[in-house]
Amino acid sequence: MNRKRLTILSLLLASLVVLVIIFFRSGTKEKIKSSPEAPPVQLQPSVPKPGETRKIVLFFLSDEDTFLHREEREIVADSSIIRQAKQAIEELIKGSEKGLISPLPPETKLRELYLTKEGVAYVDFSEDIVQKQLSGSSAEISTIYSIVNSLSYNFDSIKKVFILIEGQERETLGGHINLSRPFLPLYDLIAD
Amino acid sequence: MHVEAFRRMSSDAGSIPAASTKFNLRNVLLNKKLIAKKKRVVFLAGLILFLSIFSFSQNQPYLKISVKDYPDFSRAIIESPAPLAFDIERSFSLLMVKIETNVPFLVQKEPFESRLIKSFGWTMGAESCILTIETWDTNFRCDCFTSTDPPQLVIDFRKQGIEKSKVETSANGGEATENENHPPAASQADSKTKDMSSPSQRIKTVVIDPGHGGLEPGAKGRFGTQEKYVVLAISLKLKTLIERNLALRVVLTREEDVDVSLETRAAKANNNKADLFLSIHANSSYRKEARGSETYFLSAESTDEEARRLAYLENNPSQPEKGISGENEEEIKMILWDLAQTAYLNQSSLLAESIQNKLNSLFGTKNRGIKQAPFKVLTGVACPAVLLEVAFISNVFDERDLRKEDIQNKIAQAIFQGLEDYIALSSQGEVKK
Repeated sequence: MNRKRLTILSLLLASLVVLVIIFFRSGTKEKIKSSPEAPPVQLQPSVPKPGETRKIVLFFLSDEDTFLHREEREIVADSSIIRQAKQAIEELIKGSEKGLISPLPPETKLRELYLTKEGVAYVDFSEDIVQKQLSGSSAEISTIYSIVNSLSYNFDSIKKVFILIEGQERETLGGHINLSRPFLPLYDLIAD
Repeated sequence: MHVEAFRRMSSDAGSIPAASTKFNLRNVLLNKKLIAKKKRVVFLAGLILFLSIFSFSQNQPYLKISVKDYPDFSRAIIESPAPLAFDIERSFSLLMVKIETNVPFLVQKEPFESRLIKSFGWTMGAESCILTIETWDTNFRCDCFTSTDPPQLVIDFRKQGIEKSKVETSANGGEATENENHPPAASQADSKTKDMSSPSQRIKTVVIDPGHGGLEPGAKGRFGTQEKYVVLAISLKLKTLIERNLALRVVLTREEDVDVSLETRAAKANNNKADLFLSIHANSSYRKEARGSETYFLSAESTDEEARRLAYLENNPSQPEKGISGENEEEIKMILWDLAQTAYLNQSSLLAESIQNKLNSLFGTKNRGIKQAPFKVLTGVACPAVLLEVAFISNVFDERDLRKEDIQNKIAQAIFQGLEDYIALSSQGEVKK
């Protein structure tokens, strides 16, 4: 009995050591800066003081050429970059106010937006962005880079953008562009 | 790293997993009662982990890499405790040495500076270790020797044409033959010499990939035209043209209206030893006016990331375990998969240009129409590869054209001519060498 207990104890100790090792090794990896489970205090939108807005630039298509065209918008100058970025994406989904062409299906919903310490924004869209997507390389490229450029251009802390669909990684939007890697902005696509 | 982060996110139902997993783990650690309850599970987990750590620490084989410059060539020596079974592949400035092993190597690299060899990288897979040797110049020749005592693999890099000039400049040395200048060559008794100087550029197999298919119709036009049918029709016409006019083997990734995954398409190309890969699509845009052809090849952007990872692996040789843990293996597979097309980007751009030229003259398009983007289907293809968007199905005029058989024939003809141009160009390149 005693011996049995001893072996169990030593095994437990051994596994404890292993767990400690695993714990410390896994602890060095990146953390999510903010997410829906963050303390509720942070989640409540800070009451914006009147007049506290900032200008951002969104990118849409135009009938003129194949490039992305700028359109300025005012958003609430929230203290959180994540909430600002969410506003930017929501404005992008609403579409142009100046008759430019939106490369995002209007039915698309922004589910969540995460930002890692390393500057990768995970933008989680509803399934509509796939279902209502025009399947073609040009359409996909403009959808993706209007999102990526609109985020990277306005927010210095966003270096790359990873697109998620319904909280999951998806291979492509419509069979072309690889979504399994984060995108760097591509400012070459922007009209002068 | 991001993949990992993402996995955590998705596995925990898209919520904040990184912090919470850690928190749980800490609980487990602090609360012995909890451990006692779950001791069976922990015991098993512990045992498995122990065994894996134990087996890992058991005399790990190593690879010792050193580089030395000699007057007319550079030599890379790869030493190991046991003879190596290896396979060498070359593309442009990259030489990939695949060494079969079921145990991870510990790679030691001596710092070096060389006129010809730029850098070393390595990744550890499940059954092999892949060394990548990058040279400063694509124009090099390399010879490989192995010896058993001591077990080593020797790769000599020579700049093309340098031997001649050497002989000329060292006129005083008279007949100072190459061999005299050589260091004691690795005992060549059992050497198998591989001359990698002219990677056969002869094109034998063309893989045509008709986009979409089955449940996935691809782009749809206003008149109900579906991309999957149009591109299959064009692909079949192109196949006939190539088979009739050039004595090449043509393989289609799908010959009927069926679903084929993007990875399977690339794998079909690689398994059939494709020398050229053409993915044929019809385009769609939110701009209804958009018309004409576009040709794409893979953008290097997606691979920059991999270059950094390789650099990371290279700079952290003291952490060989990075290369073997399960989650890293997945990463390595992705790295290797991504590297596949990287080596062919120059040729792919040339292929894109040749074909786009012909499509432009067919449609009278003025713009260049050659673009780069991170296409999933092109990523893993180990040969020059392009994706053609022959016309816009989202444009009513283009859609009407795409339905016509004679236009489909003309498109196939244009692609065929572009292919011919490319083959002529690449064989010229071979003659020049």
